[in-house]
Amino acid sequence: MNKGTLPILARLSSLQADIRALPGGGRVIAEPNDRNPVAQILRVANETMLGRSLEFVSSAGPALTLDVAGRRVLRLIASHGLTGAESCLGAEVLEDEHKDDLIKLLQKVAAPRHELRVISGPLGRGGAEVSVGLPVALLADPLLIDLNPIGPEEPLPDAEAAAAPMPDGGTMQLSGRSIRDFANGVGPVLMAWLIQGGEGDGQSEGPEEMVSHLQGFMDTEREAVVGQLDLLSARPGDPICLMLGVTLIDGHSIICARLQEAILLGVVEGDGTQAALAAWRGLTA
Amino acid sequence: MGITEDIGAVVKAFPQARLVAFADLSSRMILTSAGPLSTTQEHLDRLCNQARACFDDPLFSLSVEAFGEPHGAVVMGPDGLRLFLRSDVEPADALCCICDPGIDLAAFVPKIRETLESITHGG
Repeated sequence: MNKGTLPILARLSSLQADIRALPGGGRVIAEPNDRNPVAQILRVANETMLGRSLEFVSSAGPALTLDVAGRRVLRLIASHGLTGAESCLGAEVLEDEHKDDLIKLLQKVAAPRHELRVISGPLGRGGAEVSVGLPVALLADPLLIDLNPIGPEEPLPDAEAAAAPMPDGGTMQLSGRSIRDFANGVGPVLMAWLIQGGEGDGQSEGPEEMVSHLQGFMDTEREAVVGQLDLLSARPGDPICLMLGVTLIDGHSIICARLQEAILLGVVEGDGTQAALAAWRGLTA
Repeated sequence: MGITEDIGAVVKAFPQARLVAFADLSSRMILTSAGPLSTTQEHLDRLCNQARACFDDPLFSLSVEAFGEPHGAVVMGPDGLRLFLRSDVEPADALCCICDPGIDLAAFVPKIRETLESITHGG
């Protein structure tokens, strides 16, 4: 086993996380009491973005190896103890016509009441550039499998929560207020600030020494600040606000907000989180 | 109580916390999470990377220079609110939260801090 993985596995174990690693780099993805082991195969494939060969092995004996990349099953590389694999094995790239056969193979390898393991390796036949293949979602749909559960067989708290998608950075509908309005909205806890770029460029408030320090920082670091904000945004240039503090709720914090071309950099004294949040929400229509 | 139960209790106490995840920032891994948001590994990886980006330069250095090493970050964007807290004794340990904008941060931040300290000291 890779020595680098040992501390991670030790940590996972201490967390009682739902993972069981095996010698040789494999891991158990379904226990004998798992009600839907096919779902575990599809979820593993769906979480595989970079090209990988995934060998699924049932404790009952059958095994199959898939090349997977970008949430797609590219090809069936090998099968063991499974009948009816010929058409998929013979395909250079799996296509829609192979879907039903592949589903049957997955159901056979995911035999109920047996442990199911996966071993990940490099792509079997090269060809990482292949971008076609069968989308995992296309295999999951006919089986009514949700590819994104919050935990193994764990019920969601309520129906509303079940529908809650992960935020993916939707477009912010702006109210027309400016970054200066945002500064005013944060209120007196924002003890010093300045705006650079866009509407309000050059405006500032607060003790001169502090503003001067912020100005000097922005003069030299503006590009890096933009880069840091972009790492926090769904898309480069999106509106975003970061508050960074020792505790956030007392002492001082740095606040940096971007709205279109304007960047506000300021210093918050005390607990400004709620005020900043309210002011930020005021920017949305 | 295990870590998963610890953060599950936070989600239960604060329904506006849609996801609370414990991360090892040094290995860029979310180790466990709780909450009603549907997540994929890709989402969790992104959340972990955002936590790392918060505690990185240039704003990290500005904060260190001005007030001391930051251990908390709030990110507001088009898609709501994210809160990241790092342990002050074990900087790789962090809790990453995705919350509804209406959450009471004045109550939530201390609770998350307390939970993180408990995890770090007990984990």
